[in-house]
Amino acid sequence: MPKLLARRHRWALLAGIGALTITLAVARSSSASDHQDTPEVELSQRMDINDVYAFPGSSADRIALVLTTSSPITPAQSAAAGFDPNLLYQLKVDNTGDGVEDKVFQITFTGTGSSQQVTVRGPVAPAQTGPMNTIVPNAPTLTGTTNTTVGSAAGIQAFAGIRDDPFFLDLEQFFRIVPDRKPVSGELSQLPDQPSATAFRPANQAVDYLRGLNTLAIVLELPSAMLTDGGTRKIGIWGTISR
Amino acid sequence: MHMRIRALAALALIAVGGACNDDDNDNDITGTGGDRIYVQVERLGNPLVSEVTLAKRNHGFHNAGRPSTDVANHSAELRAFVTGVAGRDQTVANTLATVLLPDMLIVQTDKPATSAGWLTWALANGYGGRKLTDDVVDAGLQAIFGPLLSPNNVSPGLSTDNVDQNDRPFSTSFPYLAAGN
Repeated sequence: MPKLLARRHRWALLAGIGALTITLAVARSSSASDHQDTPEVELSQRMDINDVYAFPGSSADRIALVLTTSSPITPAQSAAAGFDPNLLYQLKVDNTGDGVEDKVFQITFTGTGSSQQVTVRGPVAPAQTGPMNTIVPNAPTLTGTTNTTVGSAAGIQAFAGIRDDPFFLDLEQFFRIVPDRKPVSGELSQLPDQPSATAFRPANQAVDYLRGLNTLAIVLELPSAMLTDGGTRKIGIWGTISR
Repeated sequence: MHMRIRALAALALIAVGGACNDDDNDNDITGTGGDRIYVQVERLGNPLVSEVTLAKRNHGFHNAGRPSTDVANHSAELRAFVTGVAGRDQTVANTLATVLLPDMLIVQTDKPATSAGWLTWALANGYGGRKLTDDVVDAGLQAIFGPLLSPNNVSPGLSTDNVDQNDRPFSTSFPYLAAGN
């Protein structure tokens, strides 16, 4: 599947329209900057974070965190799809307002395919802040099998596995508006090379390009106090993938 | 003298610490051993910052970075995108830079759950975060091209993609995302 569909690339939508604006306003410029991911991540779908979410959990004092990766995964590909056992997936939380992580979740996997074991550590203070990290020395918080819910509904719960990709947008129409952003392979690459639209489709014609496609999701839920502990109740959350 | 030798030895250890670990037979350079040093290759907070506002050549810089240096490293480029590429005024640019950098999903856990949603912490002093149902494409389009932040220089045909919800309903209970297709 075209790498352009990965979420980070989907935001090329906006960038591309921006580029179109410039094209219309200034002159045709083939050097409009491209807003996709780095080549390494672009070529390594498993290193790509598609989306990060944070929202209230099953009760007012609980919070759910979601990190999705490796989208798009077709139904046919899904049975064999798994997380990369050589990568470290993290959700990081700043609770003091300085942009430095005070609490981290570290998620790792062993095995491959659909029968992986997931290990969740945290939330705990990291051994090091910033972009170079080791696994914290703490014992795992949870371990279990992918594609099942592990943990306690009153404490920390985790799920890692295949889910319907929760993101939605009309990517095909985007590439009709800005065809220079279309992928080099797959069905979207067959769209016209020249712009064939100047606006999005009306609601009764717009199509969610990600309908029926899957992603690998890490979902955590826990008492919010575990993240605000030692800090304030205003927190900042981000996801990382490291190798 | 002795102290100086010890100090030099300590410095040398610090300098080659990673390499020393690699010589450890217990180290697992492809597994998840505790002495393995992982290097960040990907980072994502808000669904907008790197992908839209930063040139592709700077994505690696953003991916390898940290929120604490985002304002210093990325604010000027983000604001230049909004004013230059999108053609909006400085107020829109400054507002977007302020709410999107440092690049984190901000959550005010003491606010009502009903006020949750992308950027509601800034727009309405709400819970913030990002819900599965949030149409962040439209929110981004409306902010950058629509009248959300300024009535000037809007592009109406580009302010929504008219896909407003996921193809499958989300669950109200854990793990919330719909089952795979």
